[in-house]
Amino acid sequence: MTGATTPVAVCARCGGALQPDDRFCEECGTRVVEAPQPGTQAAVGTPPVSAKVADLDDNELGVDPGPVPAPPARCRSCGGTVAADGYCEQCGEPAASARDHWSESPAPWVGGVCDRGVRHARNEDAMALAASGGFAALVVCDGVSTAPDSDVASLAAVAAARDVLLAGGPDGAERATGSPAARTAVFSGLLARAAVAGDEAVAATVREGVGPEHAPSCTFVAAVVDDDLLVAGWLGDSRVYWLPDDEPGEQLTADDSWAGELIARGVPREAAEASPQAHAITRWLGPDADDVTARTTATVIDGPGWVLVCSDGLWNYCSGAQDLAALVRGFAQARDGDPTRVAGDLVAWANAQGGRDNVTVALARAGAARGQAGTAPSDAEDQRPDQHDDPHDDEVTTPVRRVSEPPGSDSLGSTRPKD
Amino acid sequence: MAVFTAEVFQNEFLPQGGTDVHAIVTLTSSGAGAAATASGGVAEIIMVDTSGSMSGRNLDAAKHAAQVAVDQIADGTWFAIVGGSHVAQRIFPYPNAVRDMVQMEPGARFEAKRAISTLMPSGGTAMSTWLALTDRLFATVPQAPQRHAILLTDGKNESEPRAALSAVVRKVTGHFQCDARGVGANWQVDELREISTALLGTVDLIAHPDDIAEDFRDLVQRSMSRGIADAELRVWAPQGAQVLFVRQVAPTVEDLTSRRVAVNALTSGYPTGSWGDESRDYHVAVRVGSKPVGSEQLAARVQIAVGGEVLASGLVKARWSDDDSLTARISPEVAHYTGQAELASVIQEGLAAKAAGDEATATVKLGRAVQLAQETGNDEATSRLKRVVEIDDPEQGTVRLKRNTDKLDEMALDTASTKTTRVRK
Repeated sequence: MTGATTPVAVCARCGGALQPDDRFCEECGTRVVEAPQPGTQAAVGTPPVSAKVADLDDNELGVDPGPVPAPPARCRSCGGTVAADGYCEQCGEPAASARDHWSESPAPWVGGVCDRGVRHARNEDAMALAASGGFAALVVCDGVSTAPDSDVASLAAVAAARDVLLAGGPDGAERATGSPAARTAVFSGLLARAAVAGDEAVAATVREGVGPEHAPSCTFVAAVVDDDLLVAGWLGDSRVYWLPDDEPGEQLTADDSWAGELIARGVPREAAEASPQAHAITRWLGPDADDVTARTTATVIDGPGWVLVCSDGLWNYCSGAQDLAALVRGFAQARDGDPTRVAGDLVAWANAQGGRDNVTVALARAGAARGQAGTAPSDAEDQRPDQHDDPHDDEVTTPVRRVSEPPGSDSLGSTRPKD
Repeated sequence: MAVFTAEVFQNEFLPQGGTDVHAIVTLTSSGAGAAATASGGVAEIIMVDTSGSMSGRNLDAAKHAAQVAVDQIADGTWFAIVGGSHVAQRIFPYPNAVRDMVQMEPGARFEAKRAISTLMPSGGTAMSTWLALTDRLFATVPQAPQRHAILLTDGKNESEPRAALSAVVRKVTGHFQCDARGVGANWQVDELREISTALLGTVDLIAHPDDIAEDFRDLVQRSMSRGIADAELRVWAPQGAQVLFVRQVAPTVEDLTSRRVAVNALTSGYPTGSWGDESRDYHVAVRVGSKPVGSEQLAARVQIAVGGEVLASGLVKARWSDDDSLTARISPEVAHYTGQAELASVIQEGLAAKAAGDEATATVKLGRAVQLAQETGNDEATSRLKRVVEIDDPEQGTVRLKRNTDKLDEMALDTASTKTTRVRK
């Protein structure tokens, strides 16, 4: 061994070695189309390739299975072949870099799509999903555009947060068991720690010589689905919705934004959202954040439905839970309930509305009736403990709903414009 | 092995609703090496006008020049000498020889020069017959893919209708390259330009017979130094896009648009002939469908291919923006060569109007030429224009036509009209 860094990918044009951070080939200058396969630095700079994530076995969760051969890149616009120069051979559409657009499908009932959108030059959103049996963790972070390197920071944050949440999963060191209340306590604690881990991961991406005022930052939102329990945690304005099939949908998170805080103080929603600073967020992850204690909320799921985790790139075009539920149902019917494809449809829909921001949509099909239309194939059922055998089932008579208070919510002193 | 590089100069930013993308692509070859003469891959034919008008100094000078050229043809090169009047005759190999072309070697060189010395002037001028014979001779050496000819005349193509010449030019296009030279002031620039343009060569005026030899020496040397027999310019445009034009803009202006051959559904090929170590600039304009602000798309791949293999590729891009400071800028290279291309056409149109007696049009066109030459810094064009017009105000393009201009000055302006200057850095 020479001691040089082991190349993790090769240039599609000349075969030259590529390092994980390379955007262009050192040898021939060709733009890197397929992201280098994530190695040890996977958490920083390169998102996981969707094919890899989909191939993960449950017991390999979070473990990098090593490089897989990259399939020939297809154009996201027309389906043509993407040439080595980074553009489609048919329509000239630039290749979506793996950072600009990717999807994850960790289980047949869990999937998501993260996309650059139309107007932004970079994708500063990030997403990390994991699933095992009846457990799933969905994490979305939305990088703050006004800070440089927020794309790197958000990606680092989601990976770190997901890894913390996995501890509460079936294979985790802190497997949550017992009553919904007991499990809620475990997951709320994990969500708080996940936010802290995300914050530390953001701090680790800060380049030398960059002051806190230019430090990268991002929002944080995560949902844990554990059979009939749904626990969400957040900082900022990325959201979790619970959209049951037979009941009105609801937004579980309450935005940490100027508008959100005005609404919490009793200002009418229209007036609050019309204020010039409406979209400025009041809490976030990053070196300049005052406090990174995530607010959490828990819900017991008593029927089939969709858990939707998204960045404001989606909800800006469809904020109301009922409207969103109708959109999801429509796409779910057309897509036979495949969460990744439904998420892709929602992203495409947001882009069709203008795509003014990065868009991330992660979905989990939750509730007892996951075998029904618009749900996962039956093999997913086998991986999932039967809910009716749950010894704690009887203890639950009404949904648990506890929302932790936002620390310092009585202060509107600190905000930052997000876009 | 030759190496090509492609450099793209453009403003890729388009305003909302913008559709037209312009770019200058500089293609540069290096390591082309010398032409494959020794292995018999190169063929050279010299066509000398032997019509009655050539008698005296012109034919003597032409014979000397042809002999100088023969000296420059490298051993191993297939070659022939054609004498042309209203008919064409193979001078060497001798008319009674079995082979139509022979490979150069010292004995052949000696005999060829002797054959040239026996040329006698007689008859009219029908250049189509010269080109047709040359084409037939080249066809006998299919093993030589790199084929170059020189045509020298001193007069009009008076023994046949223009359509006859045009028909043969079309027929032989793509078979060989040809540089055309006119000596004196009695030949027609547009006739030789038609030949040289179609056959990927140059046209030039040789004012004095004494200069023919030097010019022939240069032409043959240049031909022998071109190690790339044939290269094809390729332009890919996305599905639904339209290639508005493809134009060589340096070293000379040549509109290639109509020479398009389909490579595949989205790619057009344009023959560019042989290459030595050199650099050529191309102006490509593509119309694409407008996309939303913020979108990016590849508008063209401009490539050079040799033997069907793409050796370099330049990417012409389109990015839609609502930032006026980005979209309003015009690439200096695009502006420069747009001006140079217009300069070439207004000079030709102005001189044609003058020849037809339309002084008003001639004054306007040549005035615009003066203005463009000034703007684009083409000092050679300016000094040639000064011999034809009095310049009152170069910036406004105000000129008066000179009386009693020398015909040679007008012809020099005409033949050099397509020569461009490069962008001042």
